[in-house]
Amino acid sequence: MPIIEVENVRKDFMIAKRETGMMGALKSLIKREYMRKEAVKDISFSINEGEIVGYIGPNGAGKSTTIKMLTGILVPSSGNVLVNGLVPYENRQENAKSIGVVFGQRSQLWWDLPTIESFELLKEIYQVSNQCYKKNMDTFTEILGLDEFLNTPVRQLSLGQRMRADIAASLLHDPPILFLDEPTIGLDVVAKEKMRTFIKEINHERKITVILTTHDMEDIEKLCERMILIDHGMKVYDGEIAMIKERFGKIRTLIVDLEESLHSLQLLGGEVCKEEGNRYWIKFNRDEVSASELIAQITKTHSVKDLTVEEPAIESIISRIYQEGYKDLQVSAKV
Amino acid sequence: MPKFHVYWIFTKKAFLRSAVYRFDVWSRLGSNLIFLLMWGSIWTALYAGREEAGGISFQAMLTYIVVSQFLTGVNGAGTPLWEIQEKVRTGDIALELMRPFNVPLRYLFADFGSVTFYIVTALLPIYAILFIFMDFTLPTDIITWVSFIAAAFIGFLIRYCIEMSFGLLSFFLVETGGIEDIFYFAMSLLSGSVIPLWFFPEWLAKIAAYLPFQGIYYIPNAIFIGEIAGGEILLSIGLQIFWLIICYFLLRLVWNRASHKVVVQGG
Repeated sequence: MPIIEVENVRKDFMIAKRETGMMGALKSLIKREYMRKEAVKDISFSINEGEIVGYIGPNGAGKSTTIKMLTGILVPSSGNVLVNGLVPYENRQENAKSIGVVFGQRSQLWWDLPTIESFELLKEIYQVSNQCYKKNMDTFTEILGLDEFLNTPVRQLSLGQRMRADIAASLLHDPPILFLDEPTIGLDVVAKEKMRTFIKEINHERKITVILTTHDMEDIEKLCERMILIDHGMKVYDGEIAMIKERFGKIRTLIVDLEESLHSLQLLGGEVCKEEGNRYWIKFNRDEVSASELIAQITKTHSVKDLTVEEPAIESIISRIYQEGYKDLQVSAKV
Repeated sequence: MPKFHVYWIFTKKAFLRSAVYRFDVWSRLGSNLIFLLMWGSIWTALYAGREEAGGISFQAMLTYIVVSQFLTGVNGAGTPLWEIQEKVRTGDIALELMRPFNVPLRYLFADFGSVTFYIVTALLPIYAILFIFMDFTLPTDIITWVSFIAAAFIGFLIRYCIEMSFGLLSFFLVETGGIEDIFYFAMSLLSGSVIPLWFFPEWLAKIAAYLPFQGIYYIPNAIFIGEIAGGEILLSIGLQIFWLIICYFLLRLVWNRASHKVVVQGG
């Protein structure tokens, strides 16, 4: 059952044009011209209960704008948004109760107060029962280790601690939907890993629907099965991550370390794209030749010390999509 | 609409938060007293040894200034204009839109907390000492006291509505310097905070009489020193309530338009 439905949503911003020079400045005093910027052009998708969806795209693609429309703090210029059966911007306060939001770039906790005070404030704001509050605090404390900084003012927390506090705060009122806008930004490897484990766990245990925007493809690979990719305010891909890998990940790389250095290595179906000392990188299309065939070819004439096959990371696929556009890539993938 | 209880929590937390900023409280009190000294000296010089001017005794005038400065301290402990503008600019207020409460009301109740803290820990002790050691005009009957407190409270609400509305205009404007100038000009002159309205030239007094700012300082001050007395008190408070209703609707209008237009900058 879809819990979030977005239908042909568009969002324009009007931006005042800045005139240059003295005359321009005077002119803009009297008449100001506006430029229309389409942050989101036409996006539709629906998300089912309990899904974790990666919502990704390059900077300025319209990710945050979409999230803000889903939380009700932006009104779409046209189109329909339905979150948990409500139109967010029309029922902002009601909608607020069924969503939790974390913005990695800014904290929603009260800056000057000890962390615990923010939690208590949120408990009252969302009218969380004592029993539910205690249950949630116990769980979050256990998984996120909140107890080490509950009495520290938020402004003194490290980024990792702050993010943990923020995500716990967003879940205090048991929302069925959680929006995470770059939840791992700026975190170290360990903190990132902890965050991912936590997200996975609450999704699994509590069936919370998670929408996640991020620039870290590892977040996507570790957390999401489905990915919505947008660019220039348009949806370019919506589907399983495995699928995009299947479609665009045919080109693999075989890396071999040989005993001796060669002048040239000629292979059927493979192409040496890089060499460094005795190490060779050989690109091949999985549909045309298998790795074992290539290896057989090499071992026939050379002795191999070591070898690995590299699968393209989702990261490089995505960056190709950003650069070349999804449609072009689709064409080249068919060839 | 959540229950009243939620807003009360903001009052409590704001009270606690103020306690964190002890230095802020003392520095604010310091500047408040410097202004008191300044305006006290100016009025002493203006009276130039005379017992009364324009039908107002020197003692009453000095009391007017002291009460006015006290109320300036009270009003100044709320969220100031620049902070509202800052919160609009950074998008903090816009983000509060996704919380299940009424945002302007939450700020008002938070202000109650920080103002109470400031009154109890700083203003009241200092001004009580002033009143004990100096010879000021004190209201003699309980009715004047009650009317003064009521008028001061309504004045606080009027000021809140106006300041919040002015601050929220940042949603519609890129530069807000002009707004600030108008606001501070009106707050210091037209409200009668440093010059009582009866000393205004006729044309200016007329303008002030048709604006809400008199309700913030002039009316409570004048009630305190007995310049507004008897039936006039009811009339003045009635006028304040009238302006409060207008200012409330102004704030509602600005807020509704602003929240509909929210553009989180840099998002």
